[in-house]
Amino acid sequence: MDFAPTPQQQLLAQSARAFLQQHCPIERVQALALEPAGFASDLWKAMAMLGWTGLLIPQEQGGGGGSMLDVVTLVEEMGRACLPAPFIQSAVVATSILLDASTITAHRLLSSLALGDRIATMALVEESGRFDWEPLDTRCEAPGRLVGRKLFVKDAHVASDLIVVARGGGALNVVLLPVDRKGIRVLPLDAMGGDKLFEVIFDDVEVKIEDLLASEGCGKDLLAPALRLGALARSAEMVGAAARILDLAVEHARVRVQSGRPIGAFQAIQHDCADLLRDVMASRALVQEAAWLVTTGLASDAGTAVAKAFSTEACLRVARRGHQIMGALGYCEEHPLHLFHKRIIAAGLDCGDTSQHLETVASSIGLS
Amino acid sequence: MDFGFTNEEQAFAEEVRAFLRVNPPESFPETGMDAGYGSGPHSRAFLQALGARGWLSMCWPRQYGGQELPMMRKLILLEELAAGGAPFGPLAGCDQVADAIIGYGSEALRRDVLPRIARGDATFWQGFSEPGAGSDLLALKTRARRDGDHYVVDGHKIWSSHAGIADYGLVLARTDPSAPRHRGLSMLVVDNLLPGMDIRPIRNMTGKVYHYETFIDNVRVPGDYLLGRENEGFAQLLRGLDTDRFWGRFYKPASMRRILGQLVDYANATMVRGAPLSRDPVIRRRLAEVATDIAAVRILFYRIGWMIEHEMPVTAESPLAKVMADETGQKLMALGMDMLGSYAPLREGSRWTQLGGHIQHLYQTSLGHTIAGGTSEILRTTIATRGLGLPADKVR
Repeated sequence: MDFAPTPQQQLLAQSARAFLQQHCPIERVQALALEPAGFASDLWKAMAMLGWTGLLIPQEQGGGGGSMLDVVTLVEEMGRACLPAPFIQSAVVATSILLDASTITAHRLLSSLALGDRIATMALVEESGRFDWEPLDTRCEAPGRLVGRKLFVKDAHVASDLIVVARGGGALNVVLLPVDRKGIRVLPLDAMGGDKLFEVIFDDVEVKIEDLLASEGCGKDLLAPALRLGALARSAEMVGAAARILDLAVEHARVRVQSGRPIGAFQAIQHDCADLLRDVMASRALVQEAAWLVTTGLASDAGTAVAKAFSTEACLRVARRGHQIMGALGYCEEHPLHLFHKRIIAAGLDCGDTSQHLETVASSIGLS
Repeated sequence: MDFGFTNEEQAFAEEVRAFLRVNPPESFPETGMDAGYGSGPHSRAFLQALGARGWLSMCWPRQYGGQELPMMRKLILLEELAAGGAPFGPLAGCDQVADAIIGYGSEALRRDVLPRIARGDATFWQGFSEPGAGSDLLALKTRARRDGDHYVVDGHKIWSSHAGIADYGLVLARTDPSAPRHRGLSMLVVDNLLPGMDIRPIRNMTGKVYHYETFIDNVRVPGDYLLGRENEGFAQLLRGLDTDRFWGRFYKPASMRRILGQLVDYANATMVRGAPLSRDPVIRRRLAEVATDIAAVRILFYRIGWMIEHEMPVTAESPLAKVMADETGQKLMALGMDMLGSYAPLREGSRWTQLGGHIQHLYQTSLGHTIAGGTSEILRTTIATRGLGLPADKVR
């Protein structure tokens, strides 16, 4: 075993932290959070220049040829900065589907995603709220028409392309459509924060044969790995956000003086901070282990589920306890703590929530 | 980053599993209570069987009879033994003492004791706590005064695991009473058979004996049975406690995974109102949740092992993993009690007992784990001050 990041991973983490500190300081995150779009296109372009948006794409296809270990290294820094960007949706989930689809349309879009010219997002979830492909009400034939409604679609307002999962006859179809295709309507949901969420309505939308990424039994072969990578990346994002909350809480406990002592000298606060450290360290180790499983191609279903379920609950504990340690200060909008907390809530729900992943764990330990 | 095992390491793990198939744990007589840490009951015969394979000394320097194998081998051995439910109770303690003797012992101590440890013929108890020195260990009063080429030791030690069935105590005593509390301490290796040693069992809530108290009355210990240098026992103690938190808990996740497996089998096989207990969503969720906790503890411990192997400073990591291991153990055993319901209190050997009656025993022992080796409260303070740099609470 070797727990050390490679020199390249160290460099990636350091340069990401430096870049985000300079171009995405917390004041900018706070300002963006108050805007309806909440998206900085200059930042996205700069991330593309750094090769981040194409990190998972193999070098021979014009990408960075990175592994999931590289991705979780980078995404932890994004979480630490609370970066508002469709990175995981476009550069991890959609990219994974497009890479596995290996159609000409998919390849063409991948190079545009890597360049930062286009952004893709996945439209899967329906009224059940679950990240699952059955049962689905949305119907589509290719060639033919797409009819239905998707919920909780992330970043649809800045996306140029949608990957839509729908039933066609008895089969599962995965199609790639430009957002501006006639009959597609994108309606914002008013969420507390964390992610930008949308309802997307498909009102008799034309689907061409070349829009099809997968049909018949292949649909879930595209979706399962993409959701797994998405779940892992979102776990890494939670670890980064929780690590930042830990820093904020510990710093506050050091400088905030009450009854003549820094509150960090009180055991009640010390013991909470110790638990925060435990939750961050344990989550990070599980995420790295799961990313290694994915990278080496070993059976990673259970590993990812363990990492996502554990880190969701652990990072939520960090956020909630962090609020308690920060006191009234952290309750104010002008303090950034709530943004990290909301990001953890959003990431915890994305690509399968705790219940869904614990069900995978339950099967993996042999429960019938 | 690499979280896998090499081919050699996998082959060694298979070798240990094969050994356990040929030498099934239940074929070895128990000589002391299972304290629930995951190393099973105390069995001198099993320890000797491991010694015969050369596994007790495989990582030692060649000059002391070892094979200089990397530390990872030891981790794999411990994990496989725990996964197989083997009775290797005193192994980790012996190994720590051996490391200390190799590191700081006199040649006489090395010559006398190391071969016995390698064969599985010598086990140890820790003489740190005293009736008046628990969490505040530096309040200890046991004295050792130099008399010619001997130390004369007087004092009263308590909560020493398996002391009555061990061979030597590692006794922390005050050699310079005029020095500040953390100075003037020395660590001595004390033979149980020396005149003046009176070791008495303490029966615990399980009805069995694990701890002992020792009355030390004018016991003459050879000067070269001093571990390290006189008055430098505090450094030894810290090192000992730190490594104890690691070595005393490293194998616990493997053992918890084993118990979890038994609970899963029980849930699959037990019908409740016409459906298997495994279909109960609450039970399913609690079992899955504790599985994620166990996975987290395991990887945290492997990370510490990797840090120790690379001589990186370990500060908050070992107390953090220790606290998490013990609290996860309590959660698992409480879940086991809930699942067994009315059957939960039935002991080993009782009519109608389930899962060998082990769960009630492990539930009871788990209560002691967050107290022994540093209470969770003391350790959380250590994590906060040493690991996170929060100010010490000095008001007294």
